[in-house]
Amino acid sequence: MNAIDATDRAVAEQDIEPPSLLTIIIDTNPHAWALLDDTLPLTKAVASLLVFINAHLAINYTNQVAVIASHSERAEWLYPTDVHPDNVQSNGALANGRDYEDLMDRGGPVQPPDDANKYRPFAQLEHTLMYNLRKMMNTTTTDAINSSPATMLAGALTRALAYISKQTASLPTATSSTQFNYSDPSAMAGGNELTTDPTKSANALGLSSRILIVSVSGDLADRYIEIMNCIFACQRMSVPIDVLKLAGDPVFLQQAADTTGGIYMSLSTSTARAGLLQYLMFAYLMDQTARNHLIAPGEGEGVDFRAACFCHKRVVDIGFVCSICLSIFCEPLPDGTCLLCGSHLSMTNYGRKPVVVPKKKVKKKKRPTESGTDTPASGAGTPMPG
Amino acid sequence: MADSDAEYDGEGPDEDDVMEVSDGGRRAMASRPKERAQARWEATASSNWELQEAADGSIEGILGGLEEAGKRKRLLKDTTPLQRGIIRHTLLVLDLSSAMLEKDLRPTRHLLTINYTIMFVREYFEQNPISQLGIFGMREGLAIRISDMSGNPNDHIAALKQLRSTEPKGNPSLQNALDMARAALYHTPSHGTREVVIVLGALLSSDPGDIHDTIKACIRDRIRVRIIGLAAQMHICAEICRKTNGGDENYYNVAVDEVDYRQQLMDITTPPVLRSTDTEAQKHNQAALLMMGFPSRIVEEKPTLCACHGNLTRGGYLCSRCKAKVCNLPATCPTCDLTLILSTHLARSYHHLFPLRNWVEVSWTRARQEGSIQCFGCLTPFPRIPNPQEAVNGTEHDVASARTKRAEGASESSRYECETCGQHFCIDCDVFCHEVVHNCPGCQSNAHLPGNQNGHDAG
Repeated sequence: MNAIDATDRAVAEQDIEPPSLLTIIIDTNPHAWALLDDTLPLTKAVASLLVFINAHLAINYTNQVAVIASHSERAEWLYPTDVHPDNVQSNGALANGRDYEDLMDRGGPVQPPDDANKYRPFAQLEHTLMYNLRKMMNTTTTDAINSSPATMLAGALTRALAYISKQTASLPTATSSTQFNYSDPSAMAGGNELTTDPTKSANALGLSSRILIVSVSGDLADRYIEIMNCIFACQRMSVPIDVLKLAGDPVFLQQAADTTGGIYMSLSTSTARAGLLQYLMFAYLMDQTARNHLIAPGEGEGVDFRAACFCHKRVVDIGFVCSICLSIFCEPLPDGTCLLCGSHLSMTNYGRKPVVVPKKKVKKKKRPTESGTDTPASGAGTPMPG
Repeated sequence: MADSDAEYDGEGPDEDDVMEVSDGGRRAMASRPKERAQARWEATASSNWELQEAADGSIEGILGGLEEAGKRKRLLKDTTPLQRGIIRHTLLVLDLSSAMLEKDLRPTRHLLTINYTIMFVREYFEQNPISQLGIFGMREGLAIRISDMSGNPNDHIAALKQLRSTEPKGNPSLQNALDMARAALYHTPSHGTREVVIVLGALLSSDPGDIHDTIKACIRDRIRVRIIGLAAQMHICAEICRKTNGGDENYYNVAVDEVDYRQQLMDITTPPVLRSTDTEAQKHNQAALLMMGFPSRIVEEKPTLCACHGNLTRGGYLCSRCKAKVCNLPATCPTCDLTLILSTHLARSYHHLFPLRNWVEVSWTRARQEGSIQCFGCLTPFPRIPNPQEAVNGTEHDVASARTKRAEGASESSRYECETCGQHFCIDCDVFCHEVVHNCPGCQSNAHLPGNQNGHDAG
């Protein structure tokens, strides 16, 4: 038999790996990194991440990367570079946008030094990322750090999703049938088929995207609704959220990874943190196509599904829910008025003693035989059978 | 369409062409079809023809503008946070009469309805995770029970799949269906909604008694009825929907084609707005503060019995109060009767309650003032801002002036601004943020907003 025939070639063509967009969200909350400073400083973590990003880019030449910093008071692009209107106005040439598009063709406004010994995309990415990270750190004021101990994860996620949606839509190889087309009138009003069939690999031909969150902050409860909105959007677009937790309370990110089908790992000890690069390379490098054939870490573990209450931002496992606005409260409301929507609420079945079937009937039967004095109105003269 | 002939006679002879162009348009059914001025699908078709005549120069710019305007049109909805019935009790009534054997919807009305209903069930529970659904059928003059009221989509889907092998038969009875639905919704708690959705393929209802008594009983029980017709409009259906929805006539529609049918079915998955009469009824009945458990998932070494079905499962959810194991959420703990849900289920409904505000179009003046050159969300470059002199002269040769003549609703500078954070976005991000994420990237990315902060912190 001739080995070279049409069927073999058809199979070979299907093996072409789809391009993959990896969006990394680095939590750069200065408070949290200060605590980790003796075991894993931010510079070391970023160095490991750069190696990881290069590995991702090297796997497939069509692979793309985007990096966003979720800083203490703002979310910023690290790669590709965001152009601030402020910077532009100082530069007259850019204000008209004339040179801007040329700049974007050459990889953004930040240009790496020419180095013949380095693969150009690596050099470009590394230089841009470090430049933007330094710039962001330099522009962070002490006031900003003092005023907000949290991190802008919701903003970073929303920007990442907007970028992913645009990239997915603009990729020419993506066929319209495989991706969620939210602007198509024939698509469903509130949803699409992707959500209804989780087993179907959605982006089989187009760009397959994923998000990796490197998180160090614990307290995320103040942006609960926004983060949840992002998680559902990810689920809808079938974008898995991978989470690498270096410190802090895991509750919401673990739910995010579980809901979207991503990988969750927590490096809580200093020895585990020392092997950050190894964790990244072994657990997070494979794309969605490869994951179908592998056993992802963290699958056989329970997930903490508790919710944050709206009144004190406490994490609770039994809560009280307003039937009108669905806000969660950790304790019954003192005056019965919902704190969010102001409607008057009655407590149903709370604090009430369980109803016990009264034993009256038994008494009634015995009454004629004893003295019927205690209930004169109940017809003492009526003869009872038996 | 079974009885469209009477209407057809009155129309002009060139209607055939127009009819093929119409796509997805929906006829809003008033109670008397003769009175309506122009159906929506007629309007769509005629404007399409006009566009092609008018486009003599750069057709691309105009089409691009129209596309953006169309996207915006779908997007621009009322973002007033309305009180919606989040906890819903819906009964879906399917027509299983012989009219469903018609093949005007492919493959048959019956099979298409079952397929769409399965999609509807999934989407319904996706959008309304703490709601209840039940499915009835109308067949041989009787109302039959297909699946009981429950919150588990798999029960309904399994029952619907079994329905595929059965043959539609006999006549439907709206009265019997409504009476049975009324009985099934009778015990539902007062803080939820009571809805009946009827898919009707037949053009008749063979009832044992006076249906008007049943309608009055439905109004008394606060039941809201929606009907989707598959053939033609019926007066009695319009009356049922109008009377049970407080005079609103938008709840009875006839599906034009398959796409429209699906669209109408999927529209029902959005929680209904509560009317003030309902609110008064609710005051009477008291909105409730519900106690709910948010259990965590566990994984066990050895399989154990779950408390809900008695099946051997490895892992599941432990009730937060009594530690009984249930295998699926949302559920009611079989031991202590606590409602067990995932907080993600509740969170799914939040965007209905706290909608993202609409973004406004940006004029060239405003764009120059801000100096925005790329979309804040996706970093796509915007079309460049024209020099002030050019804009003042208003010369026709300019790139910008061609864009100025864009369709209504589209921004002349292709920028859209969030009024809270003042950032500029492209049309794709506008649509994406309002339809999928329900977050504003700008507002979420900055802890110190220039404008008022309340708009988003309330959410």
